[in-house]
Amino acid sequence: MAPNFPEPQWFLALDRLMAVRGELFRRIGYVETRFIVRVLPDEGGGGEERNQEERNQEERNQEDRDQEDRDQEDRDQEERNTGVAMQGYALTDAVALAPGAAASFDADFTICARGAVWRRMLDEIARGGRPELRHTLNSLALIGDELWLESADQLREDKFYRFNQSLQELFNLAAELPVG
Amino acid sequence: MPTVPIKDEHRVGTEARHKVEPSAYLQKLFQSGTPDLGWMKETGQWGMHAKPSGLGLRLKDIEIGSYGVVPERGGKHLSMAPRGSIVPDNVPSLGFTINNKDECWADNVTELYEEAVARQWSSARDIPWDELKPLPDDLERAMCQLCTFLTEVEFIAADAPTRWMSRINQDFFEVKLFLATQAMDEARHMDVFRKRALANGGGLGKASAYSELGLKKIFDAPSFSAQTGRLHLLGEGFVLTIFRQGEFIAPSRVDQEIFRRCMQDESRHVGYGTMHLRAQLKSRPELAEEIHTELDDAERILLEIFSEPESVEPMAVLMGGGLAHFDKGMEMQSQLWRRIVGEYLQRCDSAGLDRRPRCLLPTDFAKLVS
Repeated sequence: MAPNFPEPQWFLALDRLMAVRGELFRRIGYVETRFIVRVLPDEGGGGEERNQEERNQEERNQEDRDQEDRDQEDRDQEERNTGVAMQGYALTDAVALAPGAAASFDADFTICARGAVWRRMLDEIARGGRPELRHTLNSLALIGDELWLESADQLREDKFYRFNQSLQELFNLAAELPVG
Repeated sequence: MPTVPIKDEHRVGTEARHKVEPSAYLQKLFQSGTPDLGWMKETGQWGMHAKPSGLGLRLKDIEIGSYGVVPERGGKHLSMAPRGSIVPDNVPSLGFTINNKDECWADNVTELYEEAVARQWSSARDIPWDELKPLPDDLERAMCQLCTFLTEVEFIAADAPTRWMSRINQDFFEVKLFLATQAMDEARHMDVFRKRALANGGGLGKASAYSELGLKKIFDAPSFSAQTGRLHLLGEGFVLTIFRQGEFIAPSRVDQEIFRRCMQDESRHVGYGTMHLRAQLKSRPELAEEIHTELDDAERILLEIFSEPESVEPMAVLMGGGLAHFDKGMEMQSQLWRRIVGEYLQRCDSAGLDRRPRCLLPTDFAKLVS
C-alpha cells in the first residue's frame, strides 16, 4: 500500500525518487538541513477542539468503515509532525514525532500548515508536476497565513531559503508517487 | 623528449632590460647533477590524511591538525604565504590591514563557501527562457522596473566587500573564498535581471538617486564590519525579502525560477553577515555603537527609497496582479513590509545587536506616510 503524507515512509519514497533523479539534485547543489513538516488539523475539525457529540457521531458513522479508514481519519484529526534530515543529495532520516517531542529533533525550521493546504499543494503537484505559481513552499511561507515557518533562530530559519530549490523539487517528486 | 617549438625563438631575450645571474644553487645543480632536496625537510605538519566526506573533500574535511587552527591574529609577514606553510623571512608584505580574526570571521564561513560553490547556477542554462510569454503591459512594465532596481543595486555586494577583500590577512583565506563566491553570485544576479528586463518586450526603467546614495554609503563605509552591518544585515536582508516576494509575484515560471535561485544565493550572504557581526560584537561589544550609527543612516536611506513611486508601485502592481488591483497590491505590500522589518530585527537579534529601540523602520507600512 502506498504511504500517506506526512508519514515517514512517504518521505522515504521521495528519497528513492531523489536517487533516481540524482542529476537534477546534483545540479542544484547539496543540502544540509533538518526540518519538521507539521500538518495541523483542518479548521473546524481538529482533535482537541471537537466536542464529544461530534466524536460520538463520528464513531457511529465509522462503524461501517474498515479499520484502515478509521486509522486514517484519526490521523487527519491530530497534529502530525515528521522530522526530515537531508544531507547531500539524500534524506538521511524521516521520523514521526509526537507533538511534544518536536523540540528533540533539533530542526532548523518547522513548516506548518493545515492538512487542507498541504493536500492542495500535493494535488497541484500531482496534476502539473509542481504547485501553482503562488502555492510554492516559499510563496506560501511569505504570506504566512496558510503556511508558515517556525524557528528559534532566524539564521537557522534562513536555511529554508538557502536550500529552497532543493526542498521544492523534493516535494515536486510527489507527482511520481502513487496516490496513497 | 622532443623539443617544444617556440615561435621566433631566436628573438627571445634579445632586448631584455635585466640580466640575471644563475644562482649558486642552479650552478651547483647543473655541475653536479645532485639535487638539494632540503625543501623536503621544511614542511608544515606532516602525515596528514584528510578524508573526504560523502560530499567530497570539503574545507572542513581538511581542518585537521595544525591546519585546522585559525589564528586569532593573522601572520605578521602580511604575505600570501599559505597558512601552515614554512614562511621564508624575506617575503614582501602586501600590507593587509584586517589582521584580527574577529574583524572578518564568521563561524559558518567555510560551510557557506562550499555551499555556494555547490549551488552555483547559470542564468543562460538554468532559466527556462523559452517559456517566457508576453505579459499585459502593466505587469511587464512593473517587472522591468523591478529588474532595473535589482540590476542597479545588486553588484554593490560584489564591488564593496571585494574592496576589503584585498586587505584581509591571507591567514583568513576562508573569508576571501566566501567573498569571492558572493561576488560571483552578484555578477549572476546583475546579469539575470538585466536579461529579464530585455527578454520580454520591455527594457530597463528608471534608476534611483536614493538607491545610488545608499550604494555610495555602503561603498564608503569606514570599516569592513560597518559595511557588513549596512550591506549584509540591512541591504541584503531587505533584498532577500524582495527575492522571496519575487517568487510570489512572479507572473511566469521564468520569473519564479529567477527569484527563487537568487533568494538562495542572497540567504548565504545574509548568513555570513549575521554570523560575522555576532563574532565581532562578542569580541568587541563597544563596536555596537558604530554598527548602530551605520544602521541609523542606512534605515533612513531605505525609507527614502521607499518614498519614490518607482520603488513602491511596481511591487504593488505585481503583488495585486495588475494595475486594476493596485489597492489589493498595496495591502499585501503592507503585510510584507512587516515581514521585512520583523526578519531584519530578528537577524539583528541573532547577531547580538538590540536594534529594536533604535530602529527607524516603522513596523506598519502606513506609518511611512505619517
